[in-house]
Order: sequence, then structure tokens, then C-alpha cells
Amino acid sequence: MTILGDLGAASFLPWIRRHADRLGLAQTVSHADDERIELELDGPEELIDMMEVGCLLGPIDVWVETIGREPLAVQTS
Amino acid sequence: MTAQTTLQQAMPHQAPPHQAPPHQAMIDEWYPVGLVSQLDRSGRHTALMGEPIVVSGDDAGNPLVTGGNGRILPVKVRYGHVWSSLGTPTKDIFSIPEADQPGRRFVDVGVVRVRCSPLRAVENFLDIAHFPFVHTDVLGAEPHTEVQNYTAEIRADVDEVWATQVKFYQPQASKSASGGITTEYMYRVPAPTCSVLYKTCPPRPSEWDVITLFVQPLAEDLCDVWPWMALFDDETSMTDLIHFQQMIFLQDRSILENQIPRLLPLDPGMEIPTRADLTSIAYRRWLKRHDYTYGAQLVAR
Amino acid sequence: MRSDTTGFWTPVALSADLPAGTVIPARMAAGTIALWRSQTGHIAASADRCPHRGMSLSHGFVRGEVLSCIYHGWSYGRAGNCLRIPAHPGLTPPDAIRVVTHDVRDTGGIVWVASGIPAGDPPDLDGFTPLRSLTADADRAALALAAGAQADEDGRLVTNIAGQDLCLLLADQPEGRTLIHVLVRSGSDAAARIAASRSVERLRRMAESASHKGGVQ
Repeated sequence: MTILGDLGAASFLPWIRRHADRLGLAQTVSHADDERIELELDGPEELIDMMEVGCLLGPIDVWVETIGREPLAVQTS
Repeated sequence: MTAQTTLQQAMPHQAPPHQAPPHQAMIDEWYPVGLVSQLDRSGRHTALMGEPIVVSGDDAGNPLVTGGNGRILPVKVRYGHVWSSLGTPTKDIFSIPEADQPGRRFVDVGVVRVRCSPLRAVENFLDIAHFPFVHTDVLGAEPHTEVQNYTAEIRADVDEVWATQVKFYQPQASKSASGGITTEYMYRVPAPTCSVLYKTCPPRPSEWDVITLFVQPLAEDLCDVWPWMALFDDETSMTDLIHFQQMIFLQDRSILENQIPRLLPLDPGMEIPTRADLTSIAYRRWLKRHDYTYGAQLVAR
Repeated sequence: MRSDTTGFWTPVALSADLPAGTVIPARMAAGTIALWRSQTGHIAASADRCPHRGMSLSHGFVRGEVLSCIYHGWSYGRAGNCLRIPAHPGLTPPDAIRVVTHDVRDTGGIVWVASGIPAGDPPDLDGFTPLRSLTADADRAALALAAGAQADEDGRLVTNIAGQDLCLLLADQPEGRTLIHVLVRSGSDAAARIAASRSVERLRRMAESASHKGGVQ
């Protein structure tokens, strides 16, 4: 999941972690700067939808412009 | 907040302060304050965002709105309602082209007072997932509870929130519907406390019925809601049309008065929005972008 | 004041006042809870707020062993975990989506809900049987004064009015009010129960007028 916008507030990464925890979603932040955050999420489609919808708003001091999603390469054992 | 926030308790005793209020963006907007059909000389004593106002009409039916200290406020007549503002609106009241189509019946549903944030009233109006539970056997019914994907966006050209391709199966969608159909909807937010709903019109399938909610903010947790409709329906009596819409709205009121927090959160940190809530999220994003925060909670608690 | 800090029990309702398949709001020190009894008779107590969009769960409905929110039908089991989100029937909600629940006991005909982790069980009610509940527009101190007896740590006030032993369980409510559960001696006949009811109503009136509250509002 790629989040683009005005994301510089220090509150956003902890907010994302809390929201993922409340959804029971495992998440990894693979990139984070003031304009782009990349998350790797693993879970049912509807739950990832819920993560996206929540992050579209985020905390008050952040402005999210768009969120894009791409499936990760399937891990083979 | 204690139980009964009456108009008396909601309004300040003194005139509003002279420094720039924190809700300037919302002050410069138009709000419904009364029905044209009910204007009289003695006036309707009401309020806008905590300031007492009086809405009256002269013998010729021209409306007059006065605020605190007797100052004259801007006034317009549109969609059967009197509109006013505490500030200086830079735009005209939004247009609803469908309302100008010949053959439309206009329905003034009448005011309902709700002890909730004016923004909460709009958010509820935009929601469909509650149809089978709050408007059971009228707008929706179990087991038809799934909300299919739809599109919700902030349209940059008009700067409004629009949700399209919204579909829901309904056992009895409106007074003129017989039997269940999948109703299609569009939702639109053209002003911070107003929403327009376009829904499938059974007598004329290529047209939309228009149902609006115009919300008058009395205080951050108190509002007067003015539903209004522009329909193609030549059969149902006006009384039945009004009763139907009132029934729907009174069902919503019991939800609106029991949500925590009472203000609309702009940070969903204490909530779990889903894809079905996309229109509500788009609305909250639009409010946030415009700094329309009267009736909103900025930090999730 | 309570000395132990691990937790305590609050008497929230008479068991008889919570039929199977119903949910009611109940008041705890920290706020309101949704108190409900499943179809098979099991009682549960959850926070009175659906985590979806904040609707009061005590306005919801009970079906089988599940409490559902009246707004969008989100359904919860007795342990508080979300079982179903009707708008998304294909999703099995993860355990993480849940409401906070409180430990509940249904003993002696009274429903007790835990705040925190109480050290032991709710008090034994020793030969008394619940009669009814009523709310007084007066605080515990005013009631104790009117009754001529103090309530103990568990909110239990035992007194004798007109030759009849009464046990009152007091639960503080907002704005200086008190919820009173009235218990009479087990085996009391109809006349005794009526007398007890009237005695407590008189007690309430005394406490309310002494507090300069209540009566004619």
C-alpha cells in the first residue's frame, strides 16, 4: 500500500501501527518520508480495504492525497 | 454533555466575541433557517452556530433574518426554504438542476430537531449499510446486507463530495414502489451541512428522484434538520410522502442521538471504517481540507 | 472510600429484570455498559459503544448467543469478539475487532459487574431475596442518614424499618443519584413484600427532601 500526501507529522506512523493492530493486520513499513509511506500488509482483502479507508483520513495533522495498492509477489517456500 | 441540550442552554448569553471565531470557514456558508411557507410577522426564534437569530416575513412574504444585536443577515430563498448566513458567503447556494424539471413535485417535510452534531446528521444521511437494521423492511432487509463496491470522491471541478454507482436491494424503496428492487443511488455533498441524494425513480426509470437533507447548525451538538424532496410521483398524497420521509428520519434520529462521541470525529482512531463507509470518509476528508470543523472532533479520544 | 485497588463489584440489576434475549444499559463507575442475556441465559457485559462508528450497543438486539449493534448490525459474542460485519459477509472478522467486556456474576438474584479485577466474589446475600430496583435523587450519604445505617464496602445497607429487615444494595449514579436494589427476607409473603416496597419509597422521599432535590421537579 502506497500512501501519498502531506505525511510529515510524527503522529502518522504510530497512528498507522495502532490502526493495523486494531484490525489484527500484520504490517511492515518499508518506506517512510514526508510525502510517501509504503506499507506491506498481509490479510484478507476486506481488512486491507479497512486499513486503506482508515488511512485515507488518518490523524488531523496529516493530509493523504491518494492511496494505491499492489499485490506483493507471492512468497514461495 | 448532559441529556437535554435545549436551545436555551446552547446559546450564549452575550453577543458573540469580536475576535475571529475558530470556525470562520463555516461561518461564511449558507444554512437553512426556515420554511418559506411558514414565514410570519412575529418570526421564528432560532439560532445559527450559537448566535440567536429571528426569521420573519413581511406582509408581501419577503423574508428577513436578524442576528444578535439586531444586525441584518444575508438572506435567500431556495428550494422552499429560507437560507441565511452569519458571515459573507462568496458563493451562491448550490444548484440542483433536477429541481427545475417540469412535473416535479416538491415536498417540504418540515423540521426535526436532533441532539447531535450537524455533521453527524449529514454523515448518517450518506450511509446505506444501516438500511436493513434501522429502516427494516422499508429501505433494506436481512439477509440483503452486503454493500457492494461503489465510487466516492471529492470532485475537484465543483469541489463537492460525490458517491456514484451505489446499489442496494430494497423490499420497498419508496411510497411509489411496489415490491423489491435494486435501487441505485448517487450521493452529493455541496455544502458542509447539506446533502443531496439521487435515487432510482420507479415511475420514470431514466430519471432520478431527489431527496435532500438541509441541516441548520444550532450548536456543535444540536441541529434542526430540514428534509426536502423533488420527486416524480403523481399518485402518492402529499401527506403520505411527508409521513414516509418523517418516519425514515425519526428512525435515524434514534441513532444520531446515541452515538459516541457526539461530535463527528475527523480522526478515525477510535473507529473501524470499512469500504462500505467510503462516502462518510470522503465527506470527512472534504471537511478536513476545508477546515469545516464546527461540530467536529479533531483528535480521536 | 474503597481501600483495595484491584477491582470491585457493582450491583447493576435484578437478574429477573434481564430476560433472555434482551439488552439494557447499566451504569458503572467508569461509564455505561451494555448488559445482555443470551438466549441460553448467559449474561455478558460489554462497553456501551460499538467500535465501528460509536453507536450505543445497549440500543442493539440479542439473537441467540450474539449481541448486535442496531446501526449496521455488527455482531459480538459474549467474550466481546466481533463475529460478523453484515456489509461484508465474506469476511471472518479477526479477533482483534472486539468490544471490551467485564466479568459478570449472577448470584442471589442480583447481577454484579466487575470493574477491574475484584479480589473475590460478590458478597453473599445471606437469606435475603431481591424484590425490586428503584432510583433515588439522593446520594448514599442522604440515604444512610434516612435509613439510620451506613452502607458497607459493597454498597450493602442493612436496616430494619417497622419491624421488617431490609437489605438495600446501593449503586452510585451520575448527578448525585443512587440506584437501590431492595431485598427482603427470603420467604416473605406478599403483604411483607408490599410493606417493604412502601418503606423504601418512604425512605427515598425522606432522603430526597433532606437533599433539597427530587420530589416536585
